[in-house]
Amino acid sequence: MKRVIDIKMGGLEIIADKDCELKTFVGSCVAICLFDLVSHVASMAHVMLPQKSDGLQSIVKKDIGKYADEALSYMIKGMIQKGADPKRIKAKMAGGAAIFAHESETSLFNVGQRNIVYLKQILKENGIPLVSEDTGENFGRWVIFNLQSGILTITSNLKKFERTI
Amino acid sequence: MSTICNDLQKLNSILDSFIVQKTIPALATMLGEPVLHFLKNTQEIPIVNLDVIISNLEEMNAMSAVYVKCDGDLHMGALLYLPENKSKMLASQLLGRSISDELEILTTSSISEIGNILTASIINAISLDTGYKICSSVPGYAVEFFRTLLEAVVSDFGHESDTLIVSHVEFYGVTSNISICMLLIQNPSEVKKFMM
Repeated sequence: MKRVIDIKMGGLEIIADKDCELKTFVGSCVAICLFDLVSHVASMAHVMLPQKSDGLQSIVKKDIGKYADEALSYMIKGMIQKGADPKRIKAKMAGGAAIFAHESETSLFNVGQRNIVYLKQILKENGIPLVSEDTGENFGRWVIFNLQSGILTITSNLKKFERTI
Repeated sequence: MSTICNDLQKLNSILDSFIVQKTIPALATMLGEPVLHFLKNTQEIPIVNLDVIISNLEEMNAMSAVYVKCDGDLHMGALLYLPENKSKMLASQLLGRSISDELEILTTSSISEIGNILTASIINAISLDTGYKICSSVPGYAVEFFRTLLEAVVSDFGHESDTLIVSHVEFYGVTSNISICMLLIQNPSEVKKFMM
């Protein structure tokens, strides 16, 4: 039986145990998952916003995943500390939906797309390949990462589907 | 927590008076029936703990929802929602005719309009009382589970603070039994603006 670690809004977890799974729920937020399948270290953050505007480091660890820039930096450092090789770290991500739309069907609140674009930019800057993603559209997703297989499972209660990436 | 309990209680009663003054008459006129309301509470919740306001009922039903964001001298988000299967009933009542599946757009428009009018009624009452100039966005419409709606609103709103002030209001049509919920969301720094 896998132990499932639930990541709250703005939260972040790092694991080094193959018997653990990381789980979160994202709508316009993005679940970014970094992993090294050789050393069995993985990390997931529930990113709400691209950048922290005040430039101050978060003191409270509970919401260290809130901002993409801060989360990525914390994830990479934490994974290396737990034995991950930075050259082997890969990424998967899901979420970034545009939940609300007005009648002209254009996106009203585009934070989801901004999160996706910004995360891709930071991953590139850090030389981390994004191997797969399930992003955009207009619905919320449950996201579960299995460290043993490296599979990210995405389910939507509204659209009634399950996919793996 | 940055906002003291006393301030939250005051904010709760101030919002309640605004709702009684402007929102209830507006909704009663639209529905053509008396309307009751219940402002459940106003609480400060850490963003990481927002799950606490998601009830089992809301997890099981897709909701029709409208989000309106208010900016200017005061910042506030208003999320109006009701179960999707009730939204067509509400739209029919508003339009005074039954709505077929092909006319789904009418449901979307009328629910959006309700969100727009209810939010406007609250900001109108706030403006009259405080003199603040407040503008509201176009209403954003969605059909989703409450968890998704809440997450989208919070990510749109949670730039400044790690906690949010959330006021939860329920409106009931006395004759039709239609129930509409509304969350009013603010950053903690906004609370003092109501106390001046």
